[in-house]
Amino acid sequence: MGEGWPVMGTVLLVGTTFGVVARQSGLEPLEIVAMSLLVFAGASQFAMVQLFSQAAPTPVVIVSVLFINLRHLLMATSLRPQLQRLPLGWRLFAAFFLTDESFAMATGHFRRGGRSLAYYFTFAIALFVLWNVATVVGVVVGGAIGDPRRFGVDFAITATFIGIVVLAIRHRVDIVIALVAALVAGVLALAGASTIAVITAGAVAPLIAVVVRR
Amino acid sequence: MIWIAILGSAVATYLTRSLPLAVTLGRRLPPAATRYLEALPVAIIAALVGPAVVAPVGALTHGAEPVAAAFVIAAVAWRRSLLAGVIVGVVAVALLRLV
Repeated sequence: MGEGWPVMGTVLLVGTTFGVVARQSGLEPLEIVAMSLLVFAGASQFAMVQLFSQAAPTPVVIVSVLFINLRHLLMATSLRPQLQRLPLGWRLFAAFFLTDESFAMATGHFRRGGRSLAYYFTFAIALFVLWNVATVVGVVVGGAIGDPRRFGVDFAITATFIGIVVLAIRHRVDIVIALVAALVAGVLALAGASTIAVITAGAVAPLIAVVVRR
Repeated sequence: MIWIAILGSAVATYLTRSLPLAVTLGRRLPPAATRYLEALPVAIIAALVGPAVVAPVGALTHGAEPVAAAFVIAAVAWRRSLLAGVIVGVVAVALLRLV
């Protein structure tokens, strides 16, 4: 488990940032805590805060979150061979804690020849606990800071998104996809179509990956 | 409405996590579909950035956000750290808005 510390530290920092940003956006503490307990998906939760602050319709919020999380289908499929020996109830329990981080750590463990599923459960549940503790800390801190725009705190969420995208770039085509998505969404928002801007741009830009082979 | 969105998002997220572990899909996804799904998260998150940088309060930016965004990209690419990007971005946008 030792190699998990950098990941856990990052989860604490990002979780705290989420709590601060969500509180600053005007969401109630109970709503913010519920998001971390029930949704438990970093990028989606930041996206929800952003969409709530733009007063996006409920279906737009849910579909956006669904799109962001479709990648879980790939990760869960990839973990199937290892989790297959568990009874259905345990598999459904394991699924709740599946995140980019727990998937990456578990995949590394299995690739090194590890067979223990306790590794996955320990790490994945530890991340869940940390994420929720960090969220509460962030909510408390966020409530204590004054007007967010004065200190540029409102830009923290955008900076977080930019950082996530930059760190996720693996190929040149990823850069093109990210730029196209951002530009299309920006133009649509300026044109007054802000409710559908993110979903439209986010669904269209990955078509580039279908056409262009890496 | 916020609670419906939170509960709906929770259900949607859990379905993406649990479906492949609960049911057996007969066939593998075609490669094109896999490439689309792999590109989807980055595209959606980038799409969230666009409006926040170009039209932060619903109208065309005065320039602070795009410049700050460039600083964030440089900081994260250099330090490989999300936190570095957030700090640079927040400080940059606060200073640029004073200009």
